[in-house]
Amino acid sequence: MFKIIILMLVVSNIQAAQSVIVKTSEMEVGFTPRTANQMGSFYEARGFPKAVRNVLKQQCFITVGIRNISNKKIWLDMSNWKFTAGGKPIKREHRDYWKKRWQNMGVPLSKQSTFRWTLIPETLDYLPGEREGGNILLPFSDKPIGITATFATGDNKQGDKIVITTDKLFCAKDSE
Amino acid sequence: MKLKQIFTLMVFVLSTFLSFSLSADNSKVPFGIRHYDIGSAQNFTLSDIDGEKFELNSSKGNWVFLHFWASWCGPCRAEMPAIQQLADKMKGEKFQIIMVNTAEDEDTVFEFLGSINVELNSLLDVDGQVTEVWKPRGLPTSFFINPKGKVKYQAIGGREWGSPIYINFIKNLTTVPLTK
Repeated sequence: MFKIIILMLVVSNIQAAQSVIVKTSEMEVGFTPRTANQMGSFYEARGFPKAVRNVLKQQCFITVGIRNISNKKIWLDMSNWKFTAGGKPIKREHRDYWKKRWQNMGVPLSKQSTFRWTLIPETLDYLPGEREGGNILLPFSDKPIGITATFATGDNKQGDKIVITTDKLFCAKDSE
Repeated sequence: MKLKQIFTLMVFVLSTFLSFSLSADNSKVPFGIRHYDIGSAQNFTLSDIDGEKFELNSSKGNWVFLHFWASWCGPCRAEMPAIQQLADKMKGEKFQIIMVNTAEDEDTVFEFLGSINVELNSLLDVDGQVTEVWKPRGLPTSFFINPKGKVKYQAIGGREWGSPIYINFIKNLTTVPLTK
């Protein structure tokens, strides 16, 4: 009986870290939660100071991949993304917040630069066929994460908006 | 006789027109390359892995493939052999490949380039500040700068640079006269 409970816990943990792919006729958006150890190892291998890694390990990392499969331009603007945990709004910090935080901690410029490159751009236009992405960082939560992402379309952002939603994401946890 | 002169003139006008419309700036761009007319390339001076200083402006007169990369970026690693092929196929042309590593130290870059069997050198943007100025859309990103020092195209993500579609595009750039 005990083994079954353990097994169920492991399975539920694996399920929690699952990727979610949302596909429409115009775009594909993939969300992959990363565990604290995954991200900690990545930044440790890049020589990030322990104090920075400790801060990062407390975040909920989600790697986002966006592909434009339409024949028109699609615009990413992170200010048009809304996040919830357990149905309540949560705030994604802008890259400027992190910049300031690293500056205050005296993090070397090279590490600040590498960190920025791992984040999803705040704004980006996707030509037909283009694929690009990056990480988003949210406050860690055990509750289901909801994302509503709104994209403008067309050369001058005048086309129909595309709205992608998911409420099937969980912050990834390392196995105990 | 008069008719022959008019015909010759028409052929001359038509061929001149065609030569301009086929100029490098109007050539069709392959998938993954974007027109990116942002004006003059921002100059910089960086050292390479041998400690040699290099100034971007010294490349004027050639088409420049300015490539931003990092060893931790998967597509950058995957793209390196294709850049080597591009270098091999464009040898002797008015074309220069300039690689800029983003915010890694010399040992990391040296070790990485040595491990993947390429003969490419790279400039070291150790603190990432040249990369900040150039603002690539992501890593890897490559910029094409014309011989007059103007940025003309941007390529995002890893590309099969050694494939005919890209080689032909780049060869066309280097052989067709510039319009601006």
